[in-house]
Amino acid sequence: MNTEMLALWAGIALYTLAGSIAMSAVVLRHRPESAILALIVLGLAVHGIAIGLRWERLGHGPFITMFEVLSSNVWSLTAIFALAYWRLPSVRPMAAIVMPVLFVMMFWLAFENPGAMQLPPTYHTSLLYIHVGFGKVFLGSVLIAVGLGGVVLARLSKRGAVWFARLPGDVQLDELAFRFLALGFIFETLMLIVGAIWAQDAWGRWWAWDPLETWAFLTWLLLAFTLHLRFTLKPAPRVGAALAIGVFVLAFLTFFGVPFVATAPHQGVI
Amino acid sequence: MHQSALIRARPGVRLRVADLGSLRLALWLIGLFGLAVAASYFGLSNATWALAVPLGLLAANLVAAVATNPIFRAQGALLVFHLGLIALIVLAAVGRLTYLKGSVELSEGQLFEGTLTQRENGPLHGDGLARVRFANLGFEVNYQPGLQRAQTRNRVGFAADDGVASELVIGDTTPLKLNGYRFYTTSNKGFAPALVWTAHDGGKPMLGTIHMPSFPAHLTRQSLDWTPPGATQVLNARLEIDDNVIDLGQAWVLRPPAVHALTLRTGDATVTLRPGESHRFAEGTLRYQGLRMWMGYTVSYDWTIPWLLAACAVAVAALAWHFAAKFRRQSWQAVDVAGRA
Repeated sequence: MNTEMLALWAGIALYTLAGSIAMSAVVLRHRPESAILALIVLGLAVHGIAIGLRWERLGHGPFITMFEVLSSNVWSLTAIFALAYWRLPSVRPMAAIVMPVLFVMMFWLAFENPGAMQLPPTYHTSLLYIHVGFGKVFLGSVLIAVGLGGVVLARLSKRGAVWFARLPGDVQLDELAFRFLALGFIFETLMLIVGAIWAQDAWGRWWAWDPLETWAFLTWLLLAFTLHLRFTLKPAPRVGAALAIGVFVLAFLTFFGVPFVATAPHQGVI
Repeated sequence: MHQSALIRARPGVRLRVADLGSLRLALWLIGLFGLAVAASYFGLSNATWALAVPLGLLAANLVAAVATNPIFRAQGALLVFHLGLIALIVLAAVGRLTYLKGSVELSEGQLFEGTLTQRENGPLHGDGLARVRFANLGFEVNYQPGLQRAQTRNRVGFAADDGVASELVIGDTTPLKLNGYRFYTTSNKGFAPALVWTAHDGGKPMLGTIHMPSFPAHLTRQSLDWTPPGATQVLNARLEIDDNVIDLGQAWVLRPPAVHALTLRTGDATVTLRPGESHRFAEGTLRYQGLRMWMGYTVSYDWTIPWLLAACAVAVAALAWHFAAKFRRQSWQAVDVAGRA
């Protein structure tokens, strides 16, 4: 195994260890939060080396194959989660909900072919980095909302109520989740705008309802619906939580499902 | 202000406009629009009408809400965001009325004279394309090992705004922009044998090209049926190229092969011509001048694009401002700390 893959698996092992400790800490009601944060940050550093080595070797970023997309998203989602974990101490046990979501992606990554593909000619633009960067912040923000909403939903059960007893009340969690969804909405909007600028330059149309555009727009609409619902009807926290999870599921299908089933999700991409 | 006065004077109208601008109705319409998008995607409905109807209703709802809901008077950034959304919908609708998209193929040296091979346009699209002229001056396409297309560099010549003859290299993310029309190179390109046809009935010699199927997409199918101008006889033209024109293991540049020939078949007769050679057929004489390349272009026109971008930028900036102001009242940490056990 080469250094690049070794670093990748070391990073994933560190994330897995951090997530496992976070889950057991919730069940056992321990607070090894510093250790969890340290393991996550260390995992990010090692995983970052793996991504950097691959970038250097191929001459392009992790934008093409499913292996690259999953790997870079595991990194970016973990990084955004680590930031929230650091800045919002009272909701840290939500790691027990967020990390398993990341485990699913890591498990998928393990079965993906790490082979390389060439960057298509229309990808030689700085808009690619901006578009992808906005998308990552969007997905990361929604993931945090899922973690917060997941706590609200978990507390509907007796066991969940005990495990997550020391977190803020549902109303506070709902407010925080709303803020992350609002942040996600801004960044998804920016992602769509930059994507449209890029599509106009690359393929002569700013919007063509291709599979990725359509599903990204449906995600945007569901997120708009969720925010508007909260403003209009002020639903119970559990409804907001369910909708946050719905947005994430739709976004997840858009980011990873569409490229998985379509060879060219954007028309004219190759 | 005038609108408010009018509404005050006619309470029945106020009720109806306020109902149309209901925030609850907006929820239903967002849901309906989402369903319409999904239905169109899965081919369950006519895309244009399925999208236009809920989008039109949503626009009406937005306008009515902005006109009647007092929250927009209190929250300026939210008002600007919603005005931006209205502008987007209006611009998108106007864009559909005036847009054009199409395609055209041009051989090396050929002049574009305003005619597209395929086109679709909105009912209010003008005739600006008829005045657009440019020439394909030749191109190069780089390939990486394994038939993976890399950079395309297409030299085009045109008259600039001041009338001076200009040249530009376009390709990939760089289109040619003329009179509001954008011309993009595509992966659709190939070989174009140049032929001179002289009919036996005394007509003038006619020079033209025939476009072989896209290359290398149809690497092994470089043939087509062609009827010379004014003739009735169909000729099957097949381009014979060196099998080693592409080495899949190496990077290569697409260009006409040095060794090639054109085989023409009609009925049972077959003739092979090399550049400069001629053959006398029943209805005329065909001279094979040589091999050129052809490039397929997509063409688009949408004057609303910069305005759409401006509306998007204003809308998203206003929304960000709105949320920032809203969240500033209580910091994220304060929300976090407020509920700390």
